Amino acid sequence: MSISTPGGPERHPTVASTAKKSAGGRPASGKSGSGKPAGGRPGSGKPAGGRPGSGKPAGGQRGGKKPRKPITPVKVTQERNWGPIALFVAVGVLAVAIVGYGGWATFQGSKPWDERANEIAGIVNYREKDPELVAGGNHQQGSIQYSVLPPVAGPHNDAWQNCMGDIYDAPIASEHAVHSLEHGAVWITYQPDLDAGQVEKLAERVRGNEKLFLSPFEGLDKAISLQAWGYQLKVDNADDGRIDDFIKTLKVNASVEGPTALCAQGVTATGTTPRELGPQMPQ
Amino acid sequence: MTALTTLEEKPDGAPPADSAARRPATQFGTAAMAIAIVIGLLLGYAGGLLTPDFNRPGDTSAEAGFARDMTTHHAQAVEMGLIAFKNGTDREVQTIGSDIALGQQGDIGIMQAWLRSWELDPTGSEPRMAWLPDGTEMIRDGLMPGMATAEQMTQLREARGTELDVLFLELMITHHIGGIHMVDALLDQSDEEDVVQTAQTMKNTQQTDLTNLRNALERIQG
Repeated sequence: MSISTPGGPERHPTVASTAKKSAGGRPASGKSGSGKPAGGRPGSGKPAGGRPGSGKPAGGQRGGKKPRKPITPVKVTQERNWGPIALFVAVGVLAVAIVGYGGWATFQGSKPWDERANEIAGIVNYREKDPELVAGGNHQQGSIQYSVLPPVAGPHNDAWQNCMGDIYDAPIASEHAVHSLEHGAVWITYQPDLDAGQVEKLAERVRGNEKLFLSPFEGLDKAISLQAWGYQLKVDNADDGRIDDFIKTLKVNASVEGPTALCAQGVTATGTTPRELGPQMPQ
Repeated sequence: MTALTTLEEKPDGAPPADSAARRPATQFGTAAMAIAIVIGLLLGYAGGLLTPDFNRPGDTSAEAGFARDMTTHHAQAVEMGLIAFKNGTDREVQTIGSDIALGQQGDIGIMQAWLRSWELDPTGSEPRMAWLPDGTEMIRDGLMPGMATAEQMTQLREARGTELDVLFLELMITHHIGGIHMVDALLDQSDEEDVVQTAQTMKNTQQTDLTNLRNALERIQG
């Protein structure tokens, strides 16, 4: 108060209001701003703004102080200060936590697909396990020996298996299927003796969806095996939710050649012998 | 003069400049202000980080649904167009086939680029057509409106001569009618400028195509 007095009319309202209530302080500083020349105001305006802010807690403390503690003034002042600060911080932390959670959830959702792929339980990531295998995408004629079965990458026939949601009821040539994987398709394979109901559940996921195809595969060690370029997941049951996770995460995303690589114009026939080059392509 | 000095001093040394009586309150005020500013900045920063996510179409938005479903719908038209281009005997069937195949493949690139820029997967988490009213009820055996069945596609691949020309024209007419229906549903719901403009272009193209396809069918069937 003593300081504000020499300051003149400008000071009086600010300080006075600060001591009493914060709401009063703001209009006061606004008035002083309008009343005086521009040069002095910005500097004085800011500190004035700061005081009202400090005045808020102070006012609150005073109001609370009287009923609570009639003891020594010094201690009371300090204790009073901590209460509002704690409140301030608590509210702030809560707000940050809420916004932070929203941000985290959004961040999780927009995580890169390869991170999400690694989070699918049981998935085998051959991009990490065998980079050399995954690097190879050359065309090669004739039968090809694949180290991983069903194959997930490697050299392949120039013709790809049609992967426009095609459902093949007999085994197909891996040499064509691998080419489809390179184009971003997910190849779902199942043991030839899998229950028809289970097969139908797989077919429902595939039918009408490009970049997906389904076929039985001889010699599978599990009922169902899913392949994308460089990835494999084997499951026991068509109801397994990881099948959908695998498709959502890897279809097109795992493509070597991007989303516009073709699935049409491929081989639509079954049979495990790859097509030879020559004029017999027209089916 | 005193007043001026006080003014200048206050911004820098407000707490020490104040009288002893004021000091506790001012100190508290500085701490509170600092905390408030930090919290404010944090909230603002978080808000800024989140804003793009709120502004761009989400995983279940009509725009994302349209981009994904129309990609699939287009992909089949590309397949049919390529067959017509390759096996068609009528010249107009060949030209329309290549036009549709390349045009719609271009559209697929545009739509997939949207999804990528929206940080969304090409594959949705909701059923096909869930983005439009009663959309899921329009699905027939996994196929969206106008799409040819696997049997029809096999038939188209195996057909030759005029049989192929006619079959292609018929299937593509049905395909386009279904496609325009989906475009209309998007136009009803979206105000995303680029999406709306592209969808409108698709509609214009397919409507022109429809006229030409029907005329060609009439001419061939004579």
